Amino acid sequence: MRYQNATAYRFLTPYLLIFAIFWVWPIISSFMISFQATRTVPWRFAPTFNWGRLIGDPAFFNALKNTLLILVIQVPVMISLAIVMAVLLNSPLLKVRGLYRFAFFAPVVVGEVAYSAVFRLMFNLDFGIINKLLASVGLAKIDWFSNVTPAMALIMIAVTWRWAGYNAIILLAGLQSIPEDVYEAATLDRVSKVKQFFYITLPLLKPVIVFCAVLSIIGTMQLFTEPFLITERGGPGGGTETLGLLLYRQGFRSLNFGYASAVAYTMAGLAIAITLVQLWLTREPK
Amino acid sequence: MSSLSQRRLGRSVLLHLFLTPLAVIWLFPLWMMVVFSTMPDNGIFSPGIELLPHGNFVDNFNNLQRDTNFVGAIGISVAVAVTYTFFSVLLTSMAGWALARYQFFGKGAVVAIILGTITLPYAVVLIPQFIMVARDFQLANTWVALIVPPLFNSLGVLFMRQAFSMMPHDLFDAARVEGVKEWRIFLFVALPLARPMLAALAIILFLASWNNYLWPLLINSQPGAMTAPVALGTLIGLTKVSWGGIMAGAVMLTVPMLVVFVLLQRHFIAGIAAGAVK
Amino acid sequence: MAAVTLTNVLKRFGSYEIIHGANIDIADGEFVVFVGPSGCGKSTLLRMIAGLEDISGGEIAIASKVMNDVEPAERGIAMVFQSYALYPHMSVEQNLSFGLRMTGNPKQDTERRVKRASEILRISELMARRPKQLSGGQRQRVAIGRAIVREPQVFLFDEPLSNLDAELRVQMRVEISRLHKELGTTMIYVTHDQTEAMTLADRIVVLRGGHVEQIGRPLDLYDNPDNQFVAGFVGSPKMNFIKGRVVGRNTRSVTVELVGEEKTRIMQPLAGAVPETGAKVIVGVRPEHFGNGGEGDADLTVGIDVVEHLGGTSFIYARTAHGEDLVIQRDAAKVPDTSEITVSIRKSYLFDENGQRLR
Repeated sequence: MRYQNATAYRFLTPYLLIFAIFWVWPIISSFMISFQATRTVPWRFAPTFNWGRLIGDPAFFNALKNTLLILVIQVPVMISLAIVMAVLLNSPLLKVRGLYRFAFFAPVVVGEVAYSAVFRLMFNLDFGIINKLLASVGLAKIDWFSNVTPAMALIMIAVTWRWAGYNAIILLAGLQSIPEDVYEAATLDRVSKVKQFFYITLPLLKPVIVFCAVLSIIGTMQLFTEPFLITERGGPGGGTETLGLLLYRQGFRSLNFGYASAVAYTMAGLAIAITLVQLWLTREPK
Repeated sequence: MSSLSQRRLGRSVLLHLFLTPLAVIWLFPLWMMVVFSTMPDNGIFSPGIELLPHGNFVDNFNNLQRDTNFVGAIGISVAVAVTYTFFSVLLTSMAGWALARYQFFGKGAVVAIILGTITLPYAVVLIPQFIMVARDFQLANTWVALIVPPLFNSLGVLFMRQAFSMMPHDLFDAARVEGVKEWRIFLFVALPLARPMLAALAIILFLASWNNYLWPLLINSQPGAMTAPVALGTLIGLTKVSWGGIMAGAVMLTVPMLVVFVLLQRHFIAGIAAGAVK
Repeated sequence: MAAVTLTNVLKRFGSYEIIHGANIDIADGEFVVFVGPSGCGKSTLLRMIAGLEDISGGEIAIASKVMNDVEPAERGIAMVFQSYALYPHMSVEQNLSFGLRMTGNPKQDTERRVKRASEILRISELMARRPKQLSGGQRQRVAIGRAIVREPQVFLFDEPLSNLDAELRVQMRVEISRLHKELGTTMIYVTHDQTEAMTLADRIVVLRGGHVEQIGRPLDLYDNPDNQFVAGFVGSPKMNFIKGRVVGRNTRSVTVELVGEEKTRIMQPLAGAVPETGAKVIVGVRPEHFGNGGEGDADLTVGIDVVEHLGGTSFIYARTAHGEDLVIQRDAAKVPDTSEITVSIRKSYLFDENGQRLR
């Protein structure tokens, strides 16, 4: 192959230009902004102004706690559910496969605003269909929006509904790349279906599972729309406020860019740590 | 009946017994969206259980249009999504082509950077992007603001690089020996051969733009410049608003995408699955 | 039409050298075949002539013009690829005309060239079809047609027949030979198949591990190989190699005894240096150069393992008392029904320990 620097960069330039302007510069810029006091004009350099405030801010720790809580509960539940969906959708015994696929994959195309609105109505205290159904089987109504625990549960349910199918699509593709003869060999060796799942499917699927988990964690970490629209700006009383919402409030409601940038970099730090864990989990055995 | 096929039948029944309720639960919110969109507000907020559509969709749509100029917002959304998809497909396939076809100085670094951004939270660039577009470029409430900043897309480039590297390179060398310029090889040989992959990419990008919420919420907040999700979002949480109208809007945002999904399921799934399976 | 000259051509990937200074002169109108086992560098060399690979050192000239830094399209060459490289989304006609259309060639001239190529290759009825709708042989013709349309000074073929089945391969071989006669253009052809090389070439370039082992006309390589590799590569089934030892010498000749077969002695006249008594040598005998016992220089009795009857001729797979495998070619009628056979060595080649020919 010949080196063709000029030709290659002619094809790359538009893309790299967008990248430089809208990614490279902002990454540097938000790092610098996080060290500036931005509520005075002109902004001035004050290295401990935002970061100092961050480590003493109960609102930040509340948002961090909520985000991590959602992450620790919702991601494993959703990934497990997605694995179950993928494995069952892949079963040769399944009839009307297209219908089931439609049911689980359809939420992928639904916008955040549209489904947030539906969930608000469905979980309404007095007139929501969920509480009506609970009542019809003799259970007590749940006040999804005024108490913290049900509100958090609602956010997790909503996010799981929206993204489980998305992960199932990726996992299904991973399943279909496992050669059929591995299972045939195991069946001849009298390995039961359940054992096949734990000793063949899961290990072979591990890289894909880890990939899904990392994408989901990074997505959940930036969770914004659901607590913004479903639980009404992180309500009740900040009970569902996430880092994404805190960033929005600080950056775009209070126009406190410096502090918001510090929050953003905290999220980036978490993301980098999680990515490193992923690389470690999927490293090639020596 | 042999015991083997009996066991298979048993397993099959069990499978459907488990999966069917799950599928019903998963379809339920979408079904309710349609049902709500056809009910008057006093029906939505009534004690009875209503699970079947009524006939009030048009009324609800009129209520929505009274609350906000939803038709105008849909127009903006369509125009922006179409333009964005065109340019994004062009940019990402050009970059993917360069990475698949040429040896050049700095290639390793470019690939490493693209991979690195996959796991970087968008939040990190959000604030400076906003300051730059709104304050420095004075482009708030324009289509450019909605289209240009999201053009950077790392999974798309990796997807197209993969698509082009799987093609036999002899095809491109053959054209090159014939004196065909590289950009013409790209345009007339590589792109036509990549049609299925381009379709998958275009669908995913269109959907991303169509449903995008946070960036348009921040940058195009003026009533006449809002996209449809933003316009609809402003109504959620208002006290005097028609919920039937909001549901009609949700249906208008969702149902066309569901139709596209059903028609182009193969491309859709290929586009999403490509993220993980190399 | 043009001559092609390679002078000390080198190819390096990083610090790894894969072509070690090739010197090849190809005359105007000649049909030259590069042949060698896979990984010998023959395809790389061809792609360097085409301009698809950089030249790390030395010079490549076409029609006396140095081409090292000239774009492929400006070199006056056309190339036929192993995979055919037909554009799957274009008809045969569009495939043939694509390059000319894209480079702004006048429309009438393009049409004339496409028509001529399709007539030469008899593919006029296929012009509207897509590559998918063609058989392997037809695709091959279209790929060659695309090269003809360029009206090049030099045709380059990169293993063009390796994707065809055996019968079509023979047919297309004849076709390519005919094409060369008809056009009279210089052709450079890469293959790993020595039969293709022998039947097509005016001259053959044998390559191994990035070195040119020998250049010569097919029968020269067969009759007079420079070394053990070329001797073994040219001819089918391949030449037998038997270990031997020098037992007698004078200034003009040498007497060699086969190891383990003391009574089998071969005397050969040598024009060059004569090896010392006791030196180890290798005796090469082609399967077709074994005669009946008593008819040649030296007799050898071997045990028969297997006999393959191909109709007119038969191949006897045999083993010497010392345990070396031999292939012996015989008329079918003359294969004995015994477990042993005595043959004579009618013609043999001597190689020194390093595989260089002694002559």
